[in-house]
Amino acid sequence: MVHLERYRDIVPDFESFVESIHRPLPVTVRINTLKTDRDDLLRRLSEEGVRYRFVYWNPLCLRIDLEKPGNLIECLMGYLHVQEEISMVSAVVLDPRPGESVLDLCAAPGSKTTQISQMMENRGSVVANEPAVNRIPSLRSNCERLGAMNVAVTRYDGRLFPRHRFDRVLIDAPCTGQGMARKDPSVLSRWCLKRSLGIQRLQQSLLRRGVELTRPGGTIVYSTCTFAPEENEAVVSTVLDRVWVETVSVPGLKNMPGLTRWDSDYGDELEGCARTGPLFTLRQEASSDYGDELEGCARYYPHQNDTGGFFVAKLIKK
Amino acid sequence: MELWRSRFGIPSEAFEGYAFHRRGHNVWISSSAEPPDLRYETIGVRFMSTKGKVWKPTTSALQLFGGRATKNAIDLDPDQAKMFLAGESQNLDADLENGYVVVSYRGMVLGCGLYSRGELVSQLPKERRIMSDKIENGSFKGDR
Ligand SMILES: C[S@@+](CC[C@H](N)C(=O)[O-])C[C@H]1O[C@@H](n2cnc3c(N)ncnc32)[C@H](O)[C@@H]1O
Repeated sequence: MVHLERYRDIVPDFESFVESIHRPLPVTVRINTLKTDRDDLLRRLSEEGVRYRFVYWNPLCLRIDLEKPGNLIECLMGYLHVQEEISMVSAVVLDPRPGESVLDLCAAPGSKTTQISQMMENRGSVVANEPAVNRIPSLRSNCERLGAMNVAVTRYDGRLFPRHRFDRVLIDAPCTGQGMARKDPSVLSRWCLKRSLGIQRLQQSLLRRGVELTRPGGTIVYSTCTFAPEENEAVVSTVLDRVWVETVSVPGLKNMPGLTRWDSDYGDELEGCARTGPLFTLRQEASSDYGDELEGCARYYPHQNDTGGFFVAKLIKK
Repeated sequence: MELWRSRFGIPSEAFEGYAFHRRGHNVWISSSAEPPDLRYETIGVRFMSTKGKVWKPTTSALQLFGGRATKNAIDLDPDQAKMFLAGESQNLDADLENGYVVVSYRGMVLGCGLYSRGELVSQLPKERRIMSDKIENGSFKGDR
C-alpha cells in the first residue's frame, strides 16, 4: 500500500483505512423515482426474496445482497440503477430543484445525470455533456432506460462549452480514481504523482468553465473519486476569487474537512514517474497553502462509511 | 399521438406538457420546457420510429406511457415473460389485433412486442434483453 502512505497524516485511523481498501465494496442501487416509487419497489424486492439493507443518509439507496444486481429485472426495466453509494453524494449536494436549468459537464455514463433528473422530477432541463464519442451510447441508454425525459445530450469539450447561464453546474471530473480501489485495486499501483499533476490542469479548466457557466448566486459542485489533494483542494483553490465555499455536510454520512494545506515530498514521490517536462520545476511547490475556506469541502474515506473514497466541494458563484 | 389513442387507448392528455420533435426516422419526446440554445446530440427519449409503413413505438416510450394502455396490451406469465425478455418469438393465443402491442409482466411494462397471427415477437432492443439463466432473482419463482 505504498501509494496510500502519503495520506497517513491526513486520514484518521490510518490502519483501518488501509485495511478497508482490501475489503470488497458493498453493492448498491438507487431507486429510480421517475419509474417507480419506493414502497412499490421495496414490496417487489421482498416478494422476490431479494435481501437488502438501507443506508442512513439516503432513503433511495439500497445495499443489496447480490453480486450482479444489473441482472435484476427491476434494473433492466429501469426501476433501479446500479450506482456506488458514495457517488450519489454529488447530486445530493448539488440539490437541483424541479424547473431549474442544470448542466452536468462530464456526464457519461450518466449515473449522476439521471439522479439529477429524478431529483428534478423530470421538470426543467438537464444538459448532459460528454465529449468522448464512445461514452455517449452508455449515457444515452441510461437516460432512456431510466426515463430521464428532461435530459438533452451535448458533446463539447467541457473547457469550451458555449456561453450560457445555468442555475447549477456539476463538474464530476475525470481523475486518477484512487477512491475506486475497492472495486479495482489496480488504480493504486497505476497511480503516480505525475498522473495527478497531469490531469490537474484539465480539472482546473473544467472547474473554471463550470464557474463561468453558472449564474451569480448559482451552485457549482466539483467532485472526484480520488484522495489526491492535487486533484481536489488544489483545483478548487484556483477559483476562490469567484466563488464562496459552502460547507458540505450530509446528515448520516461521516466526512473529514477539506485540506487547507498539504506538505508533500515531491522529490521522493516523483521517483518511479518518468522525469520529464514541467514536473521538475515542482520541487519548490512541495508545500501548498490552499486557504482556510477549503475546510468546507468534504473528504469521504472508505472506512468511515464503508463506501468508496470521494471528494466534494460545493461552491456559490459570487 | 393519434396512433397511441387509436391503437392503445392512451388519451392524448397523457402527453400534455411534453415536447415532440422529429429527426431522421425518429420522433423524440422531451419534458424540458426550453433547453438552452446549443448543438444537441439528442433531446429527451426516443419515442417512435417512423421508418416502416406502420410507426413503431419504442420500448423506452412504452415503459413510460404504456401502463395506461386499455387495449392491445398483454400481461405475460413467468415463462412467457422469460422468452420475451430473451428476445424470442412465441406462439400466443390472445385478444390482440395484429401489430405492435404493450407487453407487461407483474404490472411492469416490459416493452414493445409485435403480434401477428398468433405469434408474439419480442421487439426489445438488444441491450435490454436478458437470457433467462442470467436473471438474478426470484421474480420468476413459481406462478404468480
Ligand atoms: C468521472 S467520469 C463522469 C461520471 C459521471 N458523472 C457519472 O456519474 O456517471 C468523467 C467523465 O469526464 C469526461 N471528460 C474527459 N475529458 C473531458 C472534457 N475535456 N470535458 C468534459 N468531460 C470530459 C470523461 O470522458 C468521463 O466520461
